[in-house]
Amino acid sequence: MNKHIIRFPKDGQASLVANEWQVWDGESDEGAPLNTPQLKDELNKILVPFHWWITHHQNADIIERVEKGEIGVWFATDDDILKHADIIEAGKAQWPLVAAHFPIFRDGRSFSTAALLRDRFSWQGEVRAIGDVLIDQLLQGARVGFDTFELRPDQDLNVGLKQFELFTVTTQNSWRGKRTLLEV
Amino acid sequence: MYKYDAIDQTLVDQRVAQFRDQVARRINGTLAEEEFRPLRLQNGLYHQRHAYMLRVAIPYGLLSAKQLRTLALIAEKYDRGYGHFTTRQNIQFNWIELEQTPDILAELAKVEMHAIQTSGNCIRNITSDAFAGVAGDEYIDPRPVCELLRQWSTLHPEFAHLPRKFKFAINGAKEDRTVLLCHDVGIELKKNAQGELVADIYAGGGMGRTPILGQLIKLDLSWQVLPSYLTALLRVYNRFGRRDNLYKARIKILVKALGPEEFARQVEGEWAHIKNSDDNFTQAEWDRVAKHFTKPAYQQLSALSEQQIVAGAPETERSAFTRWLERNVKPHQIPGYASVILSLKPHGTVAPGDATVAQMNAIADLSEQYSFGELRITHEQNLVLADVEQSQLLELWQAAKQQHVALPNIGLLTDIIACPGGDFCSLANAKSLPIAKAIQERFDNLDYLFDLGDISLNISGCINSCGHHHVGNIGVLGVDKDGEEWYQITLGGEQGNDAAIGKVIGPSFYADEIPDVITNIINTYTEQRADEESFIDAYRRIGVTPFKEAAYKDAKKKDRAESATS
Repeated sequence: MNKHIIRFPKDGQASLVANEWQVWDGESDEGAPLNTPQLKDELNKILVPFHWWITHHQNADIIERVEKGEIGVWFATDDDILKHADIIEAGKAQWPLVAAHFPIFRDGRSFSTAALLRDRFSWQGEVRAIGDVLIDQLLQGARVGFDTFELRPDQDLNVGLKQFELFTVTTQNSWRGKRTLLEV
Repeated sequence: MYKYDAIDQTLVDQRVAQFRDQVARRINGTLAEEEFRPLRLQNGLYHQRHAYMLRVAIPYGLLSAKQLRTLALIAEKYDRGYGHFTTRQNIQFNWIELEQTPDILAELAKVEMHAIQTSGNCIRNITSDAFAGVAGDEYIDPRPVCELLRQWSTLHPEFAHLPRKFKFAINGAKEDRTVLLCHDVGIELKKNAQGELVADIYAGGGMGRTPILGQLIKLDLSWQVLPSYLTALLRVYNRFGRRDNLYKARIKILVKALGPEEFARQVEGEWAHIKNSDDNFTQAEWDRVAKHFTKPAYQQLSALSEQQIVAGAPETERSAFTRWLERNVKPHQIPGYASVILSLKPHGTVAPGDATVAQMNAIADLSEQYSFGELRITHEQNLVLADVEQSQLLELWQAAKQQHVALPNIGLLTDIIACPGGDFCSLANAKSLPIAKAIQERFDNLDYLFDLGDISLNISGCINSCGHHHVGNIGVLGVDKDGEEWYQITLGGEQGNDAAIGKVIGPSFYADEIPDVITNIINTYTEQRADEESFIDAYRRIGVTPFKEAAYKDAKKKDRAESATS
């Protein structure tokens, strides 16, 4: 995992902040009591796969950790979030943040996931980009609805921070604002 | 034509700066080639067989004299003295240095041009009718909608990494000159009973490995809601289009798998949530754009008859001039005016669609002298001067002859659409240009070509079908068989309102057989045709068999070709 994330709130400046959330792939829980994800580096906040959440969220230990604000979910590219609207609506009161995954940087499905979370579900909290997140996706990600980014560890975060200032105009609406023409 | 305002100019300038930084990171090694690739493609930069190729957008085919001069300057300063006009209203430069691309883009930005989204898995340059605004059969001038959608799609963040490329074509005339049904989305503009501008939406068309014609999925959509509807459509595709197989990733495969009704239903379901959003176009936005597409300062003229037009020509030139009028001059909405097609298909001397620096500069001059300083690019890879006074046609013809762009072969057998093929393109399986040259040399007799009449012959160097072979009456497709170049023939393709995908006639041929094969096919037509019947009509009447038998009548060669079916 990357120790730092880029945080770019909707109405704020981009900055580097410590990464408090560990992404768990849902596979490494064999043998763990009550299917609790194994934690590394003493981090106690964890993003679990959405499909895992669906089957495990009523486990007692998970409920306990949810109450502490230690569990968020991440959406895989093939999770059809519109098919699970009720779970996501309920999740608004349970998850401090959600994430959408990029298995490879050029797979744009999570752009639509983020857009739907913001538009359709009116998700007000944090939406994080995880996986193969590269500098040159940041601007697109920021516009569709992501506000934090855990970049692939080899990416230069300082170059990343500059990406959000490249354009001062836009020609279509986005989560961050209307197209320039409507704002003028 | 459209003029950038501060918003457009700022966006293009900032895009150049962004790309300059990306190129610098590529050169200093912090950006790996594999990760740079989609970034450069989204800015039209391919890596080809010999060098980088830069594809510059000519949005919906409209170009000013000043812009054409800049293209000439780029060809001269950064390339080898020529450019190649493509089937999707772009121009390509084949010999580009990576380090120089930011400077080239900066030159383009000075004249309101760019290479944004001319490649990559995103919404590509939007194409339209080369005769938009002047065609006699036009219902609606499509250019304001083209420009609105150009802006809407430019740097669209949600659709920057689609499963595959995504092409829009927009038509507003009775005759389709945009190959509408071979696009991922075809937008057919018309007026409804109340006189309002509405669009019919066709989806899932495309060429490539699996040629499919687009299906009507939405009727009578108001122009204002195009952004929300297209967002819904693209969102369904972005989420559910296949990404596991490059050859099954186009929207046509999704539409086919779901069926057009189910695809339309899913789009409708998505659209229901966003149809009233402020994504939609406003009247103010229409006005901002449409004011640039008003009619130029036409004179009050009387229409001239062909006899009157020809009368001015010297006796010895009359028949040649008449031929040019017949093939290269098209009717216009305004009395006393005509549209002129300058042929970029000289017989066998240069590649179809190529223009030299000298030609580009001279044609820019001609456009200023005869056509309000504007030009159009046709998808057949020719240039159009759209607003020429009929009384000046003779003078223009004589000037065009000087530039070798007056060959009267528009719509004839030698007006070949061809991709750059294996001479340049690293995707190609076989060369296209020598085949085009050999066919043009074989059929270098204008009397004969005129006698054959309308017939389209399209050549692609690989199954990506950039040369539109699927919709040629005669299609030639380069295929690779054990490292050798072979050519497959299709017949019966057609573009336009009766669009059809051609059928493969059988095993492939060697390159040197192609002129004979074409001759045999053409001879079958001339033997079998009834009166004025066109090639495609004759084909539809008598079917493929006589043509096929003729194509393979040399049995020995047929045996040889049997091993190369593909």
